[in-house]
Amino acid sequence: MLSGESLFMLDLVATFAPYMIITLSLNLEYGFGGVPNFGKTLAVAGGAFMVGYLPGRILAGIMGVGQGMDYVAQNAQIITEINNRLVFNVPLSLGILLITLVAVILFGAFLGLLVTVPVVRLRADYLAMTFLAAGEVILVIGNNYPPLVGGTLGIGVPDPFGWASTFSVLGLSPGEMRNVTVTLFMAITAIIIFLYAQKLTHSPLGRVLRAIRDDENSALALGKDVTSNRLKVIIFASAIAAIGGALYAFYTANVISTAYSRVSWTFWPWVMVMLGGAANNLGVVCGTFIFVAVRKLIIFYKDIFGPFIPFDVVWLDMLLLGAALVFILLYKPEGLLPEKPIKTIKIEGPPPPKREAPEETSSSQAPSKKKVGLKLPFKFKVRKK
Amino acid sequence: MSQPVLNTVNIRKTFGGVVALDSVDINVDKGSMTMLIGPNGSGKTTLINVISGFYKPDRGQVTFEGRDITGQPPNKVSAYGLVRTFQIPSPFVKLSVLENLLIASKGNPGESFLKAPLKMTWHKKESEIYDRAFRVLDLLNLKLWDQPAGVLSGGQLKLLEIGRALMTGAKMIMMDEPAAGLNPVLAHKVFAHICDIKQRLGITFLIIEHRLDIALQYVDYVYAMALGTVISHGTGEEVMNDPKVIEGYLGGTCA
Ligand SMILES: Nc1ncnc2c1ncn2[C@@H]1O[C@H](COP(=O)(O)OP(=O)(O)OP(=O)(O)O)[C@@H](O)[C@H]1O
Ligand SMILES: [Mg+2]
Repeated sequence: MLSGESLFMLDLVATFAPYMIITLSLNLEYGFGGVPNFGKTLAVAGGAFMVGYLPGRILAGIMGVGQGMDYVAQNAQIITEINNRLVFNVPLSLGILLITLVAVILFGAFLGLLVTVPVVRLRADYLAMTFLAAGEVILVIGNNYPPLVGGTLGIGVPDPFGWASTFSVLGLSPGEMRNVTVTLFMAITAIIIFLYAQKLTHSPLGRVLRAIRDDENSALALGKDVTSNRLKVIIFASAIAAIGGALYAFYTANVISTAYSRVSWTFWPWVMVMLGGAANNLGVVCGTFIFVAVRKLIIFYKDIFGPFIPFDVVWLDMLLLGAALVFILLYKPEGLLPEKPIKTIKIEGPPPPKREAPEETSSSQAPSKKKVGLKLPFKFKVRKK
Repeated sequence: MSQPVLNTVNIRKTFGGVVALDSVDINVDKGSMTMLIGPNGSGKTTLINVISGFYKPDRGQVTFEGRDITGQPPNKVSAYGLVRTFQIPSPFVKLSVLENLLIASKGNPGESFLKAPLKMTWHKKESEIYDRAFRVLDLLNLKLWDQPAGVLSGGQLKLLEIGRALMTGAKMIMMDEPAAGLNPVLAHKVFAHICDIKQRLGITFLIIEHRLDIALQYVDYVYAMALGTVISHGTGEEVMNDPKVIEGYLGGTCA
C-alpha cells in the first residue's frame, strides 16, 4: 500500500504529465508561433473524445462483446466485459493503446487544420476568436450528441493498463499497480514530447516561428511563408495537445464532455505558460509544475487551513491563481524563465576579430566612381525664392 | 549594354479616393544603383510595396528578370531574389542580432517541420550560414550580435535591415530610406557600403532616399516622383536640373 504522501505524488505526476503536454503544445503555437489559441479545449477534448469513441467500439467488435446492445446506453456493461478480457491480453491492450494514440494524433491535427484553414490568411486576432468559438463548439457537440461520448452522462473507456494490476511489485495493491503504470506511461510520453519540442524549436524552424511571431511583414519580405508555417504549427500543436487529452481520458478511464471546460483546458494552460515563460520550453514545464503542485497542495491540506478562511477552499484555489496571474503580468511579464536567443549550433567563442583596415578607409571616403556637382535640395528653395 | 532587371509598366494603385500611384513606368538596369526621390506622400513606399507584392496594383505589370511577378505574394517575390527593406526598421525584436541575420538566409533545410528535429539534416548548411552572418556583422560593424535586436539603436537597426537583405543572397535589393535618421557621417558610410557591395557582388539596388546631397554621388540613375507619378528621370545631374523636379519637390513638401 502506498502512503498518503506517495499517493499525493502519484496524483501530482498524473495531473502534471497531461498538462505538461498541453502547455508544451500551447507554447509551440503561442510562445514560438505567436498564434493566440484561446481554444486549447478543442484539441484536448478532441483527443479525449477519440478515446471515448474509438477503442471501446473496436474492442467490442473484435471480442464480439455487446452484440445487439446499444454501445452508449449499455456502456458500463460492455466496458466491464471488455476490461475483463483485456486484463489478460497484454498485446491487445498495447495494440489498442497504440492505434488509439495514432488516431488521436491524426484527429487532433485534423481539428487544427479544420479550424485554421478558413482564417489562416487573416490577422492573428481572428484566429484567436475562431479558436475560442471552436473550443466551445466541440463541447456543445459533446454534451448534446450522446452517440459520440455519451453526452452529459459520459462514457467508459476500456483500460489498456488493466494488465498491470495482475502483477505485484513492492507490495502495491492491484489498483495502485495500474495507476503507477499509467502514470509512468504518461510521464514518459510527456518527457518524449518535451524532448521533441526542444528539438523542433531549437532549430532554424524555431527561429522562423519566432520571427513570424515578432514581425509578420519582415518575415514575408525575407521569403518566409507565413501562412503555411502558421498552419503547420497549429496542426502540430493540436496533434500534441490531443495526446494530452487522450492520456488524461485513459487515466480517468472515462470521458465526460463537461470535464473539458474552457477554464481547465484553455485558461489554466495559458496561466501556466505565462507563469513559466512563453517561448521557453523548460520555463513552461516549471510553470506547469508549480501551478499544478500549488493546486494539489491546496486540496491536500484543505482540512488544515480550511477552518481559518471564511469561504470554501475550492475558491481559494481560484483566488490564488487569479492573484498569481496578476502578479506575473505586473512584475514578471516574461515569466520565470524568459525567452532566450537560441543557439542552434555551437559557436567557437566570439565572432572572429575585426578586420580593421578596409572598413575604415573605404567608408570615410566615398568611392570615387562618380562625383556629380550637386545642388542640395535646400538650395532649390533658396533659388526659387 | 545593361538591360533592365526590373521594370514596371503603367502601375496604378489607389486607396479609396487617394491615387497613390498612377501610370508609373520604371526600368532598373542590372547592376545599377537606381534612386527614387520625391516629397513625402509621393508614392515611393507604395511603389516598393507594389513591386514586392505587399500591395496588389489596380492596374499595370511588374516584371523581374523577364518574369511577370505582378500580384505574387511577398515571400515568392523575395524567393525570386528581389528583396525589400522597410522604411521603419522592423527587426524581430526577441531574436538576437545574429538570429535576425541567420533567418534571412534562404534554403535552410532546418526550416522544415519534418527536418527541424533532425539536426544532422541541417547542421552543415547552418554552419555555413553562421559564417556568412558573422561576415555580414563584421561588414556592418555590429558588435551586439548576441543581444536581442530590440536593444539596438535606430541607426544600428538600419544597418541590421541592410544586413538581413544581404543575407538573403538577393539579386536585387529595394531599400526604403536606408539612411533615414542616421547622421551624415554614418549615412555616407552606409551608402559607401552599399556601393561597395554593389560593385563586389553585382547586386542591383533601388533606393529611396530623402537627402539627395548624401545619396546622389553614389547613384547611377534617378527617378523623381511627385503625387504618384514619375515626373522626371535620368542621371543625377539631369534630374536635379529638371525644373519639374524643383517644382515638384517644393510643391509637395513645403508649399
Ligand atoms: N495603406 C494605405 N492606406 C491608405 N493610404 C495609403 C496607404 N499607403 C499609402 N497611402 C497613401 O498613399 C500616398 C503615398 O504614400 P507613400 O507612403 O507611398 O509615400 P512616400 O513617398 O513613401 O512618402 P514618405 O517620403 O513620407 O515615406 C500617401 O498619400 C499615403 O497617404
Ligand atoms: Mg515612404
